Amino acid sequence: MTNIYKHIIRFVIFTFLQALVFNQLNIGFGIHLMIQPLFIMLLPFELTVIPLMGVAFLMGFFIDIFSNTFGLYTSSLVLLAYLRPIVFKFYGPREGYDPLKEPTAHDMGSGWFSIVYAILLGLHAFWFFLLEIFEIGRFGFILQKTILSGAFSFLLALLMQSFILNSKQKK
Amino acid sequence: MRNLIAFLQRFRIFLVFAVLQILALSWYVTYLSFPRNQFLTTNNDIAIQILEWEHDLTKHFNLSKNNTQLQWENIYWRKRQPKFMYQLSRNKFKIDDTLYQQQYTYIPAEVINSSVSRRNNYFTLNVGTAQGIKRGMGVFCHEGVVGVIHYASEHYSLVKTVLTEDINIDVNIHMKKSDLPGLLIWDGRDPRYGMITGINNDLRIKKWSKVETRGGSGIFPKGLPVGKVSYTEPIEGQALWKVEIRLAVDYRRLQRVYVIKNIHLAEQTALEARIPNED
Repeated sequence: MTNIYKHIIRFVIFTFLQALVFNQLNIGFGIHLMIQPLFIMLLPFELTVIPLMGVAFLMGFFIDIFSNTFGLYTSSLVLLAYLRPIVFKFYGPREGYDPLKEPTAHDMGSGWFSIVYAILLGLHAFWFFLLEIFEIGRFGFILQKTILSGAFSFLLALLMQSFILNSKQKK
Repeated sequence: MRNLIAFLQRFRIFLVFAVLQILALSWYVTYLSFPRNQFLTTNNDIAIQILEWEHDLTKHFNLSKNNTQLQWENIYWRKRQPKFMYQLSRNKFKIDDTLYQQQYTYIPAEVINSSVSRRNNYFTLNVGTAQGIKRGMGVFCHEGVVGVIHYASEHYSLVKTVLTEDINIDVNIHMKKSDLPGLLIWDGRDPRYGMITGINNDLRIKKWSKVETRGGSGIFPKGLPVGKVSYTEPIEGQALWKVEIRLAVDYRRLQRVYVIKNIHLAEQTALEARIPNED
């Protein structure tokens, strides 16, 4: 039961952090920090893809309402949720995932987490900026935004991971 | 029938995915062109309350800078008030006030939510239809043009800023002999630079010549600053300049704005509706 509450609290925190803090930061160079993919990434392994997409849709919906993006976050988060089991399956152990473990860098090792999260985040960011800019002629700009935002969001995710990890070890 | 059920079973995940994507994308595409449902933007009660709390926290960050700007603006207008001026030639002429009539009124507002890094950037203002805001009114700040009201609810409104794809404000490039009319657009790259389309390349454009609003559509008064020309380049195969301008307003730290109400707008549109259609 505590697991569900933990994820609900995370849902609220991640939504508000993204909508009220990271969306208001204007760093320049096309960098747009995104932490909402980390929430989808950290949901438990046993959650199947349809409820996963439901959660992603809800979260994207709330972020969209707060930032006047009209479905941009919703669409990219649903795509991320759809791709998550596929990427997990590809990089998973042969006997399947241990249901007691969580998809964090602490439980699964930082190597596994880095590869899987980098792929998911990259695809998510690419879809996001592709939709946002929506011009094939500006493909270079889309790539620039994807790579820069992806890289910085990835570092931010690692940082937040170590933060969550530390708070767990203290208990 | 059994085949159909088997098919649905097999592709159930993809079908749910497709339905959710279509929902999100239709929301995205319809909203970019026409505002339909205000509850799906920051114009709803809960989101606006939370954004107001956030604004209460963050509005103090630029306070000293904003105060200085307001002070400078006060000085600027105070200098132009007749009663503060020294009258050089007395009793020689008097200002006939019936010659000048007020055409625009201004409604002060505060930006409570903004973004500048997206492809299309919208600001939320803390004024709405209760204060007389309507769709299509112009918004500016003391430095220059900000945008046009996109949607107004009772107490809040959404501004489609200069930093959107199809803002198309009619502007003039201020030249020595004549003004060059064009349309302001934004390429989504840098919130400090905008572009102007529709400038014929038969005239040379001086760098740093001023760009101002033309006032033709009745949204903005004539002569509001927009920016300065920073770069020109001929477009290949067309008799047009590609003009890049440095925008006058720093949209990244904008807080106080004014909404323009044109008293003569109804008259102008009623008159222009009489232009005979050629088809």
